[in-house]
Amino acid sequence: MTPILEIDGVGLRIGVQDILRDVSLRLPQGGIVAILGSNGVGKTSLMRTISGVYQATSGAIRHQGEDITRLQSHEIVARGILQAPEGRQIFSNMTVRENLVIGGGPHGLAELDHVVSLFPALGERLSQGAGSLSGGEQQMLCIGRALMRKPSVLLLDEPSLGLAPKLVRFIFDLIERIRSEGYSVLIVEQNAKAALRVADTASVIEGGRIVIEGPARDLADDPRIAEAYLGGHVHVP
Amino acid sequence: MDPYYVQQLAIGLSLGMIYALMAIGFTLIFGVLNVVNFAHGEVYSIGAFAGLLLITAFGPPLLAVFLLVLAVGAATGFGLERLAFRPFRRFSDEASLKSRAMREATLMSSLALSIFTREAMELVFGSEFQTVPLDYLINEPIALGPVTIVTGDIIIFVAAAVMLGGLQYLLTRTATGRAIRAVSNNPLGAKYVGINTNRTIVLTFVIGSMMGALAGIMVGLYYGAIFPAMGFTPAVKAFVAMVMGGLSSIPGAVICALIIGVSESLATTFVSSVWADMVAYSFLLLTLVLFPQGLFGKGRDRV
Repeated sequence: MTPILEIDGVGLRIGVQDILRDVSLRLPQGGIVAILGSNGVGKTSLMRTISGVYQATSGAIRHQGEDITRLQSHEIVARGILQAPEGRQIFSNMTVRENLVIGGGPHGLAELDHVVSLFPALGERLSQGAGSLSGGEQQMLCIGRALMRKPSVLLLDEPSLGLAPKLVRFIFDLIERIRSEGYSVLIVEQNAKAALRVADTASVIEGGRIVIEGPARDLADDPRIAEAYLGGHVHVP
Repeated sequence: MDPYYVQQLAIGLSLGMIYALMAIGFTLIFGVLNVVNFAHGEVYSIGAFAGLLLITAFGPPLLAVFLLVLAVGAATGFGLERLAFRPFRRFSDEASLKSRAMREATLMSSLALSIFTREAMELVFGSEFQTVPLDYLINEPIALGPVTIVTGDIIIFVAAAVMLGGLQYLLTRTATGRAIRAVSNNPLGAKYVGINTNRTIVLTFVIGSMMGALAGIMVGLYYGAIFPAMGFTPAVKAFVAMVMGGLSSIPGAVICALIIGVSESLATTFVSSVWADMVAYSFLLLTLVLFPQGLFGKGRDRV
């Protein structure tokens, strides 16, 4: 079966630096794939490349079999690939409702009830300025804004970063819940434990390339994961 | 109150509205790109000349002149973005979009285009005042009791108010306007929600230039003075209004433009009209010294 999202040998070179080298992974329809790795190994660059903020210098990205490598970010969003990016990137000068309307694009507020049912905290703050939300609420707004488009692929870049343990649990419960609604999710995380609990498969990136990949269940006990996060080099057999 | 002051107040308000129309062009463009468009004054002159050419060639009703000038302004804004701004926007990530190099490059390119356009107009039309057909001058006096204003004051005030109201509606109630505000607030975030940022930037130039061109023809018909360098002074005043208003606040720029207009108009009571220009510069100086964020500038999250 064609995966909903396929990354095929993608390389990214910015200036003289190779940020990504020959990265390949497949996100099956309805699946959750985790990308793990420590700071600065290229996880966010990969997410930006998928969303068209960066242009891959080699390889291909396919969505339901269609090549989207050269498309611009708005064309990629129009195909239903939505990202809750690093740093949240919400519109802080606007209200929560306006953020969600903009997120809905052509659908407008059609998904509002669904998003509010996932994030009741946002429902109470629709007319509040987005900049005045707490960090956790901003993260909810960021994910909620992406869900307003009914995405076929949801990309989550460090959704638990900087959140209190209780909120981290909330976010990961939410990821399982939206998967049960049929969404396909690609998640970048530093919190490997939590990510491996929800993911089907995982890939570990180091130095811009994938060094370990496999079923999440097997990787959870893999000593090399801990090593990768401690900055040690992973020994690839 | 002395009717004289009421009269000067009315003149000041229409003058302020002209500055406001110009200031919006600056503010919108500064909002989405963080750059100052130095060719904005030429958009004003082009608007005035386009209107004058139409008047001398066909003599259409005034409303038709205004509509055509708006169209010319739109085309000018589109061309301006293509020639002076687009070539410097090769990379689309946040860092390059708001980088200093990009800001300085477009500062020079828009200044170059401005000089080129002005010189080209002087070559074709000469640098002196053009003759405006008398029927089209909007300076019929209207006596309101002891106060006398002219038709132009009303036309300028109404036309500018319609444009400002339209802009407000666009920015708050339409998807296009929300896209402009989104790009202005967070250009990278705008990409993630699927906004076509390039198209939004072009649109911003189109809207800003429509307002600038309309301001140009209205002033041209008000004073009967249309010449290639006419855009310089109002552009400077509008620039001051933008800085006073806090760089990217539209209401701030409009209010400050009105303050400048009224102050200049009242100042002519006390000093010669040549010195009235000093008012705007004094405001600029005071703002920069006392309110570096502008009177209406919020704590900005990025510069």
